[in-house]
Amino acid sequence: MTQEAPGTRPKAVQSPLTLIMRIKSPEAGTQLEALLHRLQSAPPGKNPIWNALDTLMTVHFARFVFLENNTRLAVITTYDGSFDDYINDFIDAIGDVFNAILQFMDDAPPLPVQQNRQAFLDYVRANDLRGLEPFYSAYPTSTVVTIMDALKDQA
Amino acid sequence: MSALDLGDIQGFIMRSYMMPTLRVFVLRVVEPGRARATLGAMVGEKPGVPQVTTAAQWSEKPEYCVNIAITHGGLEALQVPQASLQTFPPEFVEGVVARADRVGDSGPSAPSTWKGGLAGPGVHILLLLFAQDAAARERETARWRSRLGESGLVEQFCQDGDALPGNLAHFGYRDGFSQPTIEGGLPGLIPDPLPAAPAGSFLLGHPSQFQDFTYPVPQPDDLGRNGTFMALRILEQDCAAFERFLAEAPDRYGISGELLAAKICGRWRNGVPLSLSPDTDAPDPPIADEQMGSFDYVPTPANPDAFDDRKGTRCPIGSHIRRMNPRHASVAGGGGLKRRIIRRGLPYGPPFDVSHPEDGLERGLVGLFIGVSLKDQFEFLMKDWVNKGDFAPGISGTRDVIIGVNADVDNRFVIPRAGEPPIVVTGFPQFVKTRGAAYGFLPSITAIRHLAAV
Repeated sequence: MTQEAPGTRPKAVQSPLTLIMRIKSPEAGTQLEALLHRLQSAPPGKNPIWNALDTLMTVHFARFVFLENNTRLAVITTYDGSFDDYINDFIDAIGDVFNAILQFMDDAPPLPVQQNRQAFLDYVRANDLRGLEPFYSAYPTSTVVTIMDALKDQA
Repeated sequence: MSALDLGDIQGFIMRSYMMPTLRVFVLRVVEPGRARATLGAMVGEKPGVPQVTTAAQWSEKPEYCVNIAITHGGLEALQVPQASLQTFPPEFVEGVVARADRVGDSGPSAPSTWKGGLAGPGVHILLLLFAQDAAARERETARWRSRLGESGLVEQFCQDGDALPGNLAHFGYRDGFSQPTIEGGLPGLIPDPLPAAPAGSFLLGHPSQFQDFTYPVPQPDDLGRNGTFMALRILEQDCAAFERFLAEAPDRYGISGELLAAKICGRWRNGVPLSLSPDTDAPDPPIADEQMGSFDYVPTPANPDAFDDRKGTRCPIGSHIRRMNPRHASVAGGGGLKRRIIRRGLPYGPPFDVSHPEDGLERGLVGLFIGVSLKDQFEFLMKDWVNKGDFAPGISGTRDVIIGVNADVDNRFVIPRAGEPPIVVTGFPQFVKTRGAAYGFLPSITAIRHLAAV
């Protein structure tokens, strides 16, 4: 690995998604919590979120966090490349999970997201807080596909 | 799945006509009423008026075929109402000049360098004349031009395409092996082992390659349905620079020019895929033409014996055909099969003679790239898979050697080798420059009748 000259670190290929969604009501919040708990406790190979992200190969990390007394759900990820350019692949992989979650949200876009793709993209753009630039990455040029390929070599 | 109405669909979407000559007329609407009547006559079975060729089966191959593409500016000039114009996709509305940076048409390929007024406002209708030979092309051209005065149109520019001897492209490659099979469409000339593409990847109004999704049909339905979109690309090829690049290969990289040509493309120049024959372009037994598309980069149910070329030691991951069609190889998004594109077109300009490299003559490719979504197919391929390297492992920071933006940037092409360090090719120029482009809507026959009656 070559040493970088100071100040020449490449811009990260990864970007932050900080999607904050407003939950309709305390009842909706309870049902949403139950849904996410069910999805997340699926046995290995049966978690639809994980299966979707494994197929997509652009998301490094993903977490769901309830905020502000369970009135908000945050989806926080680190993903590669342009969200817009890969929106169709994203929806194909994980659209059903968002259909399940968005029914509990205020100002949700029309569902199902597979048939209302532009509206879903607009919704995410409007509710994504991203993060203060610049986004730190310990390995700014390493995409998921590159990392997975390298790990296969080591195995 | 309902059958496609082949008689309503423009023919060259569904099949190559396999005709060796082409002329693209770039036309401007000057009298909207007459222009609309001219289009109407081309689908009205009016005697003596060349008819738009459909995808209906031929009993006898015609001498020539005619097809029509209309830009957004052209639809406007034909007085299509604003409410309808606004239902067309944003990238088509914006047009090629506004989208130029996105697809790498900057620097030497910038619209300011384009010919034929293609960067200007008067590009309305593209009339595509395909012909069996140059005589037929001239005959039909004369017939068309004799009626131009009454047509409400003026000819701004025309661009010819002509097959080269041996059906090669200008860099010496045999081309055109890999075309998607369209569900409900006509069988391809060379079997494609990949799943057939849903009709809606190539035609408006049908389910597309994306889950439960039909691309919005421009309105009214008669106008949009069974239509599709086309990117016209006039691409100049620097054959002298390309031959120099290959000639340097033995001294710089210790490999033959032919192997370098194969590695940057993914096929030997005679068309044999590296995936099937990595060491020679003359395998024994030879590979029949019908087999030229039958390979994959990783084993699959359809190709269980395929060599696992995950590392690209046979076909480099950054090679042209692997970028344009990753087949079942791992790519970001997981959508390697969802970015198929239909390619038509022909070379233009006289054959390159390596003994007279600086003849000062322009040569290249007239390309017609067809898909239901300019943004998700043509533009995506150019932006994400040609001019970037983040979608697959090992090619970060690199671009397609043959068609990528390689001027004024540090460029690299990696040739992986089993059990040895890779060969890293560097310092190559940009071989292809855009000399003109257009985004066209390819209306159905119903749509052309509708336009005539606007």
